[in-house]
Amino acid sequence: MADDTAGSGKPGEGTENEALQEALAAEHAAVWGYGVVGAALGAQRRAPAAAAEAGHRDVRDTVTALLDRRKVDPVGAEGGYAVPFPVLSAVDAAALAVVLEDGVAAAWVRVLGQATERSTRELAVGALISAEVRAVGWRGAAGQDPVTKALPGLPTG
Amino acid sequence: MSPPPALGPPGFSRRTLLAASAAGVALLVAGCTSSPVDERETVTGRQVDQLAAQLAVQDGLVAAYDAAAAADPALGSAVAELAAQARKQLDELRAAAPNSTPSAAASSSAAPAGDAKAWLRAQVKAAATSHAAACLDQSGARAALLGSIAAGLRGQDGRLA
Repeated sequence: MADDTAGSGKPGEGTENEALQEALAAEHAAVWGYGVVGAALGAQRRAPAAAAEAGHRDVRDTVTALLDRRKVDPVGAEGGYAVPFPVLSAVDAAALAVVLEDGVAAAWVRVLGQATERSTRELAVGALISAEVRAVGWRGAAGQDPVTKALPGLPTG
Repeated sequence: MSPPPALGPPGFSRRTLLAASAAGVALLVAGCTSSPVDERETVTGRQVDQLAAQLAVQDGLVAAYDAAAAADPALGSAVAELAAQARKQLDELRAAAPNSTPSAAASSSAAPAGDAKAWLRAQVKAAATSHAAACLDQSGARAALLGSIAAGLRGQDGRLA
């Protein structure tokens, strides 16, 4: 039975559902954070931030629906988040987008490590790839080098 | 009133990131026996074979970087960092599949005379697709590693565009 091993999603359980809750929390944070990124980029350069935000909204909705179907109460968004550094320029905005994507990538790698369902791995690897592809663009815009990572989402990077 | 959470729980505060990193290390170190969840499962013969196959795929990609650099030295220096990352990925796969011998030697060891960059990009993309597909049939640390490598290579694909 799928949900026997997927767990109830309670914190500390170390299960597929708990990892999905963490990924959902990271997606909520990314959606919120891209609002800050977009505001700092200005109207003419906002398109990539808007596209990224839409992508995170889609994944957020998918995970929320999945947990609902499993009778697990999905985590919601926080009222606000602490931005890790002042975002005053387009370069700062890109650097914040990198933080958001890297955080999401780490959460999805943890889902891959915990997943018992093949369909969950499919969701996770898709979300992970999208996060890293976007991160490559943002690292370039933030002037970071290298722009690619050998092992996105893993501590060895 | 408590302060707002760092952007954002759980992945974004430095502290959580460190904790997450530690968890990731544990996953990797656990290797074939992996996380608590899949202590219940055994690594099937098919999973072992498939990991060996992905080792061969990655071996082929490292050879493709060498071949592209030989065919086009300027390209070779431009993608040196990407090649080093591909080698790091190969090392991680080897560590995850210690008993596997990379069976097939890289079939595509010579880059075509034409557009070496386009050829290399196709090799990177194919390897990424292969690792992402293989990830679905693995579990625990092996699934995490293959998924991460697939994402890294898709990022390289973007860089080579």
